[in-house]
Amino acid sequence: MARISNNIRRLRFDNNEMTQEELAVKAGCTRQTIIALEQGKYVPSIELGFRIARAFNVRLEDVFQYEG
Amino acid sequence: MTPLQKRAWWGLITGAVFTIAFLLVFFLMGGIDKFEQDATFRIIVDVLVIGGLVANLGIVNLTLRKPGMVDERDKIIVDRAPRVQWLAVVFTLVAWVIGLNEAYQKTNLIPAVFLYVMFMSVLIISTLAQCLGIIIGYWRMDRSG
Repeated sequence: MARISNNIRRLRFDNNEMTQEELAVKAGCTRQTIIALEQGKYVPSIELGFRIARAFNVRLEDVFQYEG
Repeated sequence: MTPLQKRAWWGLITGAVFTIAFLLVFFLMGGIDKFEQDATFRIIVDVLVIGGLVANLGIVNLTLRKPGMVDERDKIIVDRAPRVQWLAVVFTLVAWVIGLNEAYQKTNLIPAVFLYVMFMSVLIISTLAQCLGIIIGYWRMDRSG
């Protein structure tokens, strides 16, 4: 469905196997939203995208890719 | 399940319990004729309806105000729930209009008490449909994004 893919799962494992709950707390969303993002069932707002990128200390483009 | 999703289920269950209690009391205590004449009966029904609405308000709507309980995805789902509410309310009103028209067409007089009962039923249906709309919203988003 989503033409925007993401590397959240890989980035979590690269960051000391960060749990979905930990990422959710850092990004200010629920764990279910992280699950939906990893499954490609939800495309976040730009704000949440930036918060997730900040949680990993990377740029937005390192987390999300547009496959247009 | 997100906190809001859990609350929507609890809201639906609580609402259904109050609605069943309301219907049981209403029909076991004498129905519309008794309701029109007996003030005590009306108060019992009022307490059940208002109690159900307040319980639902506490369970579902106050969750939306708690910080950290809902995120942007939850808010999208909450914003979509009124579509289900609107449909449920329209169907309820259509059912009332057809039912009352068929029942009282010959006399051409509909008892005024039906205005009250219609309003209460729409309020109950609308509240239940809000919870249902949230549950459907999560189901649809989990299914197709």
